[in-house]
Amino acid sequence: MSDSITLSNRPRGGLMASLPQRSVFVLAAVAAAVGIFLPGLVSSVLLLSLMTQAVIGAITATGVGLLFRQNGVVSFGHAAFYGSAAYIIGLSMRYGLLPAELAIIAALVLPPLLAFLLGLVIVRIPGVAFAMLTLAVGQAIYEFALKARHITVGDDGFAVNFPAQVFGISVRTFQHPSSMFLICWMLLIVILLALQVFANSPLGRLTVAIRENEERARFIGYRTVVPRAFVYALSAFVASIAGVMAVLYNGFVSPDMLHWSLSGSVLIMAIIGGPKYLWGPALGAVVFFFIKDFTGNLTEHWPAIIGMIVIITTLMLPEGLAGALARLAGAVRRRGNATGEAAQ
Amino acid sequence: MIAIEGTNLTRGFGGFVALDKICISVPEGQIRGLIGPNGAGKSTLIDVLSGRAENWSGQVKLFGEDISPLSAQQRRRIGLARSFQRTNIFPDLGVAEQLDIAARRAEQPNVGEVLHELGLAPYAHQRAADISYGDQRRLDLGLALIGRPRVLLLDEPAAGLTVQESMDMAEMLRDLAQRWGVTVLIVEHDMDVVFSICQHITVLHLGRVLADGAPEEIKRIPEVVTAYLGSAA
Repeated sequence: MSDSITLSNRPRGGLMASLPQRSVFVLAAVAAAVGIFLPGLVSSVLLLSLMTQAVIGAITATGVGLLFRQNGVVSFGHAAFYGSAAYIIGLSMRYGLLPAELAIIAALVLPPLLAFLLGLVIVRIPGVAFAMLTLAVGQAIYEFALKARHITVGDDGFAVNFPAQVFGISVRTFQHPSSMFLICWMLLIVILLALQVFANSPLGRLTVAIRENEERARFIGYRTVVPRAFVYALSAFVASIAGVMAVLYNGFVSPDMLHWSLSGSVLIMAIIGGPKYLWGPALGAVVFFFIKDFTGNLTEHWPAIIGMIVIITTLMLPEGLAGALARLAGAVRRRGNATGEAAQ
Repeated sequence: MIAIEGTNLTRGFGGFVALDKICISVPEGQIRGLIGPNGAGKSTLIDVLSGRAENWSGQVKLFGEDISPLSAQQRRRIGLARSFQRTNIFPDLGVAEQLDIAARRAEQPNVGEVLHELGLAPYAHQRAADISYGDQRRLDLGLALIGRPRVLLLDEPAAGLTVQESMDMAEMLRDLAQRWGVTVLIVEHDMDVVFSICQHITVLHLGRVLADGAPEEIKRIPEVVTAYLGSAA
């Protein structure tokens, strides 16, 4: 009996997962082309700046979505990794500890490493308790940044003075909205593609299996803690990338970058977009930033409006905007097929 | 050769003793039935042998090797597999996909063979949650059969199946055990299944071995008839 089982018709995973690998790369190329032309079409620097912040938010939300999709848990503490990455760079620059390039590398390595070690302990704890632990760890790091004024300057935060060039690129490139939008947009596309490859890899499939039924995974011979800790570290890595981009763009760090309210906002972005879908949280982030900007101009009570949108999304679109779009695309595809068959 | 052996296996839940110094040994290639009323300790015994239980005492050997300190996944990797009373599959994954994941841990990645033997090939690319309950039970069994385990512990594999499905599963189990040389310890309430495939039966009652012998002998023991079999004998 042949054991050559093809898994190409896998039933799981939303719009991108259901597309052939080549189509995913075509979509990515189209998205990249859109990103190249978009800054040229937007004349307002304010709007470009908002778009850049939205894409940085999209990267962070993608990290939170990864954790939900692969491990089935939510994090209330991803700002810890986002902000830690920013502080590692900021403190390195402030005290001359490391050259900017090495500081960036450290900012991409140390938070995920912390997440992995932390994950070895906390991923064993299910559901709400896990979320509370991520919140506790996040707030502990926030409190440290707030209270250790002699090191971090506390609540005031501080400006980060980068050298004229970082990795051979003028730092102005990172701090101008149009060029930084393009860099962050391309980075987001690369991250989404990489996570798509990860989701289809043996480790990605294993972590979904563990999410589905951890006990069964153990009884087919797998250790279940390390793979989940790895996913937690990977999601922290994605958040760290966003933190690096944020500090490069803003040239400033403050404890707000570590605060639970930022973790909460990122979670809301993921919920609005639909964390079951790889690209859902990124979509949610873009929508979140534009709603926040629009409602913020109308009223200081904009968080209440965001709250109502979250409630409506949860009740009416449990799979988020991405789920609704995926269903719509499926319906259009089916109608197209039916029309084609009728014409024959 | 003794395939799996448990010596003085004891486990309690608070003041209740679920297993009371039970000794059991199953020779290689045998299909052993494990029967008894609810609360007799059958599933607990399977849990202890498979590494699922905690806070137990005694010794478990697999082909003479002491596996007591090994975790569930370590026991699985050396050829001790199990299925569960409650269907225990990966509902959101495809049928072949989850067998493929299991096969990555096995020395003999026999996904195609298992799909074929269990009649799951037509559903290979369907989501496990979307197939019928009977097929899900077979998939549960299939996950245990990946890698051709040396010893298979089955906890009520026919639970919830129709009479015909139960008999088909029994037939398939007997056939596979014979051809693959798998030793099977099966907990089952369906006496037709037990008496049709088991070469030897152990009866548990209140955490102890009440009787042990060939099916025909078991049917003639008055204590067993009184405690469990009743009119089934």
